[in-house]
Amino acid sequence: MAADFRRLIEDSREISRRSFFAIAGWAGFTLASLIALYQSIRWLYPNATYEDPPAFKADPPSSYAVGSTTVIIDKRVVINHDPNGFYAISLICTHLGCTPRYFPDATSDLVLAGTQIAKDPDTGQQATKANPVLPGFKCPCHGSRYFRDAVNFFGPAPRPMDRVHLEVAPDGKLLIDRSVIVDRSFRLKV
Amino acid sequence: MSVIRAAIDEMFSIVGQMVGSVFRHGLPLTDKIAARTALTNFVLHIHPVRVRRSWIRMSYTLCLGGLSFFLFIVLTVTGLYLMFYYVPSTNHAYQDMRDLQFVVTFGGLIRNMHRWAAHAMVITVWLHMARVFLTGAYKKPREFNWGVGTLLLLITLLLSFTGYLLPWDQLSIWAVTVGTNMAKYAPIAGPYTRYLLIGGRVVGDNALLRFYVLHVVGLPLAAFLLMVVHFWRVRKDGFSGGL
Repeated sequence: MAADFRRLIEDSREISRRSFFAIAGWAGFTLASLIALYQSIRWLYPNATYEDPPAFKADPPSSYAVGSTTVIIDKRVVINHDPNGFYAISLICTHLGCTPRYFPDATSDLVLAGTQIAKDPDTGQQATKANPVLPGFKCPCHGSRYFRDAVNFFGPAPRPMDRVHLEVAPDGKLLIDRSVIVDRSFRLKV
Repeated sequence: MSVIRAAIDEMFSIVGQMVGSVFRHGLPLTDKIAARTALTNFVLHIHPVRVRRSWIRMSYTLCLGGLSFFLFIVLTVTGLYLMFYYVPSTNHAYQDMRDLQFVVTFGGLIRNMHRWAAHAMVITVWLHMARVFLTGAYKKPREFNWGVGTLLLLITLLLSFTGYLLPWDQLSIWAVTVGTNMAKYAPIAGPYTRYLLIGGRVVGDNALLRFYVLHVVGLPLAAFLLMVVHFWRVRKDGFSGGL
């Protein structure tokens, strides 16, 4: 085999019929093996997954009071209604993907234990000794914490949870699309 | 009468031939017969014909490799039993696990044997590696078998991880969510690896089926083949224990 190739490299005119077929045969075998390898790996990538579709409808905007936080746990989405509009949070921890849980008080135990908690860069709110209670989310897996607006302030989470697109559907309900990630300044005004 | 006697004689001779075909060398009353039996018997051939007492001193090997293999057999047998009552689908898995625990006779025993043997095997395999390292048994000419051993350790851990998802309770779902998200952090190949592992974007039916297939067929088969090589190399490279 190696000798066949050496002969081919040294002087292609000297190649015998036997060597030519040996090279062609091995080249064909290698090519077929590579195709088989590709097929066996590609086979394991499903083309359709039949998972829950990313877009779904929630209640009409009027069902959400101003200042409310609504967790839709089956969809792993949070709908916040602030005075300046609606926004939706994808409730997936940015550390390793668990589902954080909402707590009306996500800060006071840390504040009272002496941990300095940074100011929320979006709302400007800060948990202090004088005013230790802020609502937010705690992740049960490794203890990451987020303010109510999804900005992380404690634990291993590297960045805020994603905000996803929402709009009012023609039938008047909120339509949330979890596959579309939007900027943190995004607000839906109704 | 003589016809009946001839038939009985014939029967005894057939039975005698059958027994003789299984036990070819008779009772191992002398070293010679014992050696010949060990050399020609498939089950015994794993064992050297002669073993020095010092090679297998308990205080040297601590039986850790043997214990790991014994636990692998326990896991294979109990795992086979569990498979009769377990369906790897998100609609059935948790309920089947509960049934095994509370409805199936001896289900709790078999499930717990599988569970504790699995924990024990991870421990004995680790300790086996530590023993081989501390006694220097990984050195020439046994480097290749050390390599095979590291693969067997990896497969043991993967078996442990894939089996962890199968009860389909909150602990297992989120443990595998976390584990496969770690794979996602790998540069470039990360997200593809996660999609390949769980067959989708969330830990669901595809992930359960994939982990099941790996747990009951893929990884045990790989472990078995590597074990064959591992044991054969122990025989060929010789025992590392005292001379």
